[in-house]
Order: sequence, then C-alpha cells, then structure tokens
Amino acid sequence: MTTALAGTGPAQKVTALAGTELTLVVRNRTLAVSSVLLPIALGVFWAFSLGHGPEVWPMVVALQVAVTLGMGLYVTGTQTLVARRHARVLQRLRTSGISDGGLLLATLTPALAIALAQLVIFAVIDVVIGDQVPSNWPALVALVLGGIALMVGAALATSVVTPTPERAQITTLPMVFLMLGAAIAMVLIPATGWLQALLLVPGAGVGMLVRLMFGGEVGLGPTLGTIAATASLLVWAAVFIRLAAHRFRWDPRNG
Amino acid sequence: MTVVTTGDGAAPGTVDGMTQTTTRQAEHTATARASAVEVRGLQVAYGDFEAVRGIDLDVRTGEVFALLGTNGAGKTTTLEVIEGFGTRCGGSVSVLGMDPATQRHALTRRMGIQLQEGGFVDELTVGETLSLWQRLSDRPDRVERLLDRFDLARRRDTPASKLSGGEKRRLDLALAVWGSPELVVLDEPTTGLDPESRRRTWDAIQELQEAGRTVLLTTHYLEEAEALADRVAIMHEGRVAVSGTLAEILATRPAGFSAVLPADAPTDLPRFAGSTEIGGGRLSVRTTELQADLTAFLGWAAGRGVRLSDLRAAPASLADIYHAVRTETGTTAARTGTDTTEVAR
Repeated sequence: MTTALAGTGPAQKVTALAGTELTLVVRNRTLAVSSVLLPIALGVFWAFSLGHGPEVWPMVVALQVAVTLGMGLYVTGTQTLVARRHARVLQRLRTSGISDGGLLLATLTPALAIALAQLVIFAVIDVVIGDQVPSNWPALVALVLGGIALMVGAALATSVVTPTPERAQITTLPMVFLMLGAAIAMVLIPATGWLQALLLVPGAGVGMLVRLMFGGEVGLGPTLGTIAATASLLVWAAVFIRLAAHRFRWDPRNG
Repeated sequence: MTVVTTGDGAAPGTVDGMTQTTTRQAEHTATARASAVEVRGLQVAYGDFEAVRGIDLDVRTGEVFALLGTNGAGKTTTLEVIEGFGTRCGGSVSVLGMDPATQRHALTRRMGIQLQEGGFVDELTVGETLSLWQRLSDRPDRVERLLDRFDLARRRDTPASKLSGGEKRRLDLALAVWGSPELVVLDEPTTGLDPESRRRTWDAIQELQEAGRTVLLTTHYLEEAEALADRVAIMHEGRVAVSGTLAEILATRPAGFSAVLPADAPTDLPRFAGSTEIGGGRLSVRTTELQADLTAFLGWAAGRGVRLSDLRAAPASLADIYHAVRTETGTTAARTGTDTTEVAR
C-alpha cells in the first residue's frame, strides 16, 4: 500500500503518542505544578534540616534520588499504565498501528519526563546549597540509567497486580519503602562486611551509586562497586520486565 | 408471533430482497474471491469455561458478514482471536492470509477494528483524537473527511468525555474505518444508537462494501443483519448453530400463518401438514407447506362462516430462526447453564 506519504515510522508514532501524553500533563495544571513544586520543597527541606557535611550529604542525595525515582517515576508510571488500561485506552491504541513496546514507552513518557525534571531540579538545588560535587561521573550516569530501568520494569510488573488506578497507591507502597530504605541504608552501612549483601535488595544499587558518586568507600572499590551496583539495578529491572512480559494485561477484564 | 414484512419495497425476505441477494451472490461468484477470514475448528477457553467450542467461519472478500448471537454466545471472543488480541487453544485462523496470533502488527495495517466500548482519552478532543490516529495509523486519511462523514465536525473541540453515547460510537467507527482498510471488524457497531445514528452507521458500512472492503460485524439486532449482511452466522453457546446467506437460512425453516379465532369457533380444524399451536384465542401454524395449509385453513373458515381477525402469513424470519436456535439447544443451555453464569460473574 502507498503508506509512505503518511510518514509514520515506528519512532514517529512513539513521538506522536508521547507528545500527546505530555500535552495532557501540561494541561493538567495541578499535576504539573505539584510534580515540580513538591520535589523542590522536599529537596530544600532535607538539604537544610539534615545538614551538610561529607557523612550526611550522600544520604540527602540518596533520599532525593530514591523519592524521585520511587514517587515521580514508579508510582506515577504504574498509575498511568493502570489508568490507561482501565479506560481501555491501551486496548484501543493497540488497534492503531503503534507497536506494543512503543505504546508502553509513550504511555510512560510523562512519568519519565517528570522524574527527569525532578532530578534536574534536585541537581540545581544541590549545587546551590550543597558543598559537595560528585566526583565519580560513571556512577552518576549508571545511577540515572539503572534507576530508570529498574523503575520502569517495576511499574510494568506492578501494573499486572493492580486492578484499578486507585489501588496503585497501595500496590506500589512495598517497592517504594523497600527502595527508600535500601537506598539510605547503602549510604550509611560500613564499607565492608556482610551488610553489603543488602545490595541484593531491589533499589539498593541507588544508594551504593550515590555513595560512590561522592567518592565514598565501598569494599569492592570504586570500579567493581559501580559495576556491582549497576548490575543489581539492571538484574532486578530484567526480573520485573520478565514477570510483566508473561502476565501483562492490555484490557481491564479480570483485573 | 410472525409478522408480515411488507412495506419497504426492498426489505429482505420480500421478492425484491431475494432478487437483490441473488444478484449480489452472482457478482461474488463472478469475481471468484478468496476468503478474507478463514476460521477452522476454533476453540477458546477461559480457565475451565469453553467460550468458543470449535467453530468454522468463512468471510469472503468484499462481503458483509454478520455474527449474531446472545450475550455470552462467544461472538466477541471470536472477534478478539481474529483481531489478534485473543489466544486460541485450538483450531486455525487466517485473516487476509496471515495468522493473527503471530502477525497481529502486520495485520493492523490492513484491518480496522472497532472495539465494543470506550478507550478514548477523556481529555482529548474529537479533533485531537483523530489527529493522533492520523499519526499512529499506517493508512493515510484526512481528519476533515471523517469529521464530515460521521457528523462530528460540530464536536471537533469537544473532549471525548463530554460526547454522548452515540457520538462516541461514531468516533469509534471513524477510527475503525480510518484509511479505508481492506477488512473492517466491528463489534456491535450500533448498540445503544438512536435510529438516525444507526442509519448513518449502516450507510457507512454499505459504503465500505461498495468500495470492495470486507466487513465482519457482530450484532444483537436481527434487522441489522437482514439489512446489511450478505451472509450471517448465528452463534449459540460457543458454537455456530446456523450459517449461510439469508435466503439459504430462511429456506431451511418452515413458514407460518396465524389468526385470532372467535370464541365460538368450531373446533374441528383441518389437519395441517405443519405444527399447530393455540394460545389466547390465536391459532398459529408453522409449516413447510404454506400454500396447502393456508388454503385448507381459509376453506375451513369460509365453509363454517368463521370470521378471522388479525390474519397473518409470512415466510420464516431471521427472528424465528434465532428463537429456534435458542430453544432447540435449550436442554444444553439448562445443563451447562450453571457453569456459564459462574464464569460470567
């Protein structure tokens, strides 16, 4: 068929749908404002209340990153997926011509955009207020990419066990707490010893990478430590995506 | 019971309708078409419940095919497998020469789908929804054309959440026929529509057929199948009970006549070839020998001076066949009724 004129390659379709999804976020003033203002308020609050100094600062940053990834990306992403499934939007868009992967990516774009915007806001606040600058750049890059991969995987998997958008507030809680706890713990625990095994907990890699980012000591050393922490994030991401791939539901029937 | 369908000149079932069907069939044979959809021994189960129990379907290229049946007969489940969204546990399915289970994405280029309900982003306007579709679909088309075609131009800037049920259904159909796909699959396209919207939808379906497209639709409305479909299949409890052209199906069933007898009418009715039923003063006869039985009846009435009121005679209608399908399998329904309802919950 002469469809070339339509100019709809797979990437253009994802861009089209992602653009529409972003427009909807911007149109929803409350959501747009709260997702920008809330992290600013929290970031400033933690930075001032918990204090500075080389021992405390990584914890502040770990908290910021874990909250951004957990709330901004994971919870928002899960809610969006479930809401779109619940309203049969996913089912309808599957008849349109966009690929399944592209559809999921575009649906998660607002959550990704919000999380990235929040990370940028935190970075700016931290540079202005903080007295430490990251020294391990690979750890920073691994933190952002690995953290996003884990949260996207977790959101896909959680949407499988979440029948309604309202339920997402409950079904996402365990993972959020697990990640917050593990991330902060990884910043505070001794550099060596059996407690390092906490790295096996999903989301713990976030804390270890923040620690490494600021030149903190870990038993494995900076290079191996970065690799191990990144692997922890990516393996969990893969596990969640595999779970989701088996049981993902596109239509709201039977939850 | 039976209603005489005269009135509209071209109403199917009348002589005109028959001729029309025959001409269409002739054209079909002339173009020697392949099947657009070919289903063999299709089985679908949800857990222990067999929703579709081994059905065969052939939808020929260029025809309108209607799948009739009650709720829970397995129509939507069958469509979902054809659309590539449902998983079958037995049988083979070929849609435009492809297997929807493995080639769904390639199929969406050539197949338009109307789902049974919903699926619009509430905040997006009609215009935005169509523009988005324009960028997601592999088939080129114009937003303006569809706005005009489905009388949605006035509602262009209305969010989907503010549309009436009928308007939503029209937007649904607009997306399904976007870019005039080779095959259009419509799940209950006119359920909940007012007569005017229904007429408009029928026009759109006929237009597709005139353009050589194939249409597979499900419906609850028998008159819809009669007005639109070249061939129909009636599903019941996961099986195809009857299928064929309307003329073929109607020919397999007895015709009937009925009249209300006065209270003091003599009881020595003539012997009819068909079956007789008397209820509420009305005599109903279902017979394959309509002329002979009706002659005997009218002769009897004339001979005894019986004044008949509300006398009706008609060939079998799709409604008769539909009811027959449901009652003939009534025992099966009673037996499997319990598990059916359990699963439906």
